[in-house]
Amino acid sequence: MKKVSWYTFVILISLVSLVPFYVLLFLSLKSPTLTFFEGFSPLPDFRFLNFSEAWVSAQIGRAIINSFIITIGAVLIIVFFSSSAGYAIARFSNRMNKIIFYTFLVCMMIPAIIITVPLYSLMKTIGGINTHWAMVLLTASTSLPFAVFLYTNFIRTLPKEIEESAIIDGCTYFSAFWRVTFHFLKPVTSAVIILTGLGIWNNYGQAVFFLQSQEMQTVPLAVSMFFQKYGAQWNLMAAAAMIGLGPAVIAFLIFQRYFIKGITAGALKG
Amino acid sequence: MFLLHKLNTNLHRVMAIPAIVLFALFFIYPLTQGIGISLTDSNGVTAPSFVGFQNFIDFFQDDRAKTDVYNTVFFALGSAPLLNILGLMYALLLDRPYRGKGIVRAIVYLPAVISPLIMGYIWYFILQPQRGFLYHVFDLFHLQAMDGNWLGDSSTALKVIILVNVWQFVGMTMIIYLAGLQSIPQEIYEASRIDGAGYYTTLRYITLPLLYPSIQINVVTNIIGSLSVFEVIIALTEGGPGYSTESLSIYILRMLYGSFTGYSTAVALILFVMIIVPVLLFLKLTRKHEIEM
Repeated sequence: MKKVSWYTFVILISLVSLVPFYVLLFLSLKSPTLTFFEGFSPLPDFRFLNFSEAWVSAQIGRAIINSFIITIGAVLIIVFFSSSAGYAIARFSNRMNKIIFYTFLVCMMIPAIIITVPLYSLMKTIGGINTHWAMVLLTASTSLPFAVFLYTNFIRTLPKEIEESAIIDGCTYFSAFWRVTFHFLKPVTSAVIILTGLGIWNNYGQAVFFLQSQEMQTVPLAVSMFFQKYGAQWNLMAAAAMIGLGPAVIAFLIFQRYFIKGITAGALKG
Repeated sequence: MFLLHKLNTNLHRVMAIPAIVLFALFFIYPLTQGIGISLTDSNGVTAPSFVGFQNFIDFFQDDRAKTDVYNTVFFALGSAPLLNILGLMYALLLDRPYRGKGIVRAIVYLPAVISPLIMGYIWYFILQPQRGFLYHVFDLFHLQAMDGNWLGDSSTALKVIILVNVWQFVGMTMIIYLAGLQSIPQEIYEASRIDGAGYYTTLRYITLPLLYPSIQINVVTNIIGSLSVFEVIIALTEGGPGYSTESLSIYILRMLYGSFTGYSTAVALILFVMIIVPVLLFLKLTRKHEIEM
């Protein structure tokens, strides 16, 4: 009996979590009608045409490409820069590395919105408005503190012996990291990819300022523009949102296998 | 050749440099600049002149700003505790071996994968009075009377926003607590069971103290996240009705769009202080509870 009620609970929690997805799916397959819910039934209309219409009118294809370029570029920078920084901080404790670590630790508590104004003039100076590269660097740097924190703590839990044998074989500390240690970082790298990658894929607060031209729109911008322009066409908006959601969900499902392990060692120990 | 070799063997000493250089350029430098801008009447068009702390004085005399501080703090005080209590309950419930464990976890985490903006739009659609999804569900069961204009009513709008935010991010809090629960060795539980401790005694004296690192991370990230909230509000109410759901982040952006650049930066710095003080206070107050394993 206890077991049955426990399972009921688990199913209930899962269903509650799925409600927004169900509503989004329901909407994205709805036919457009004037009185939207004439003869409401909880089953959608299976109007798959919405997806192709949304694809065209929201220019979601280009938005997905833009989001991909920015997210992948930024995540690559985050993974390489912060794993090597984490290695230096965890393994070679000198004053400079300590200062760097504490700088990141303090700045982790500062939300990005606070620097929007000066950032805007910086972006203007370096010609970074409406460019992929500047958005990549910007979103990457915003996520660096958290990623460095996770990597440093994770590498601290790894025994030094794993790179020592490589060093005896004549590797430098630098190449020993990339050849050996880096491969042990899979769990924390997965956690970093999920947490920072999703944040960048969904980034709205910075994109809305620095990617104003239509060709540079990312997924959240395209969906919100669509919402403002065609507010009544819920079916198309939902379809556009569904399309934009797809890559994020797939990436999450790929990397979530190591996710908990990475968080455990990266954030909770050390 | 010797130099090159020397460079090569010392490369590990500078491995933290790329990260900090990039970060300094796009974060620390603008941050220091912001302090300067906040002391001027900069409007992004004409040349700014130094006004001292006038922007900060203005802030404390502005009624709209007061409302926004109240809203932001109200949101945080509702959101952060709810997220933690519910996330912990979920984690305690799901931390056991069962079939489909991975799937259930992924499902509960999934809402956090959606952009808060789109999540806001979805809930906007659900909650629309007289024509939203919820209305039609009520309608199906002849409960139309239960429907209400929750987002259009200033006494309920912010509470609804808190619930939407909790709904979206409870999975993220849960995952961190689950990770914490799994790092507690089983032997400790066994020992406490042999000593005759019941479920709540074990929870109070063993699980919660050992869960401290997870609690710390969750509370800190929730304080930061909830005090800087804006996307979900933009999607649900755009700060309305009136200014009754406007958060400080939205205020900052609107002042910025309104070309009150200096003032907007000053408000941003005030928000920064509003975030850093409770975070440091929390870390200091809970420090002595930390347990070494």
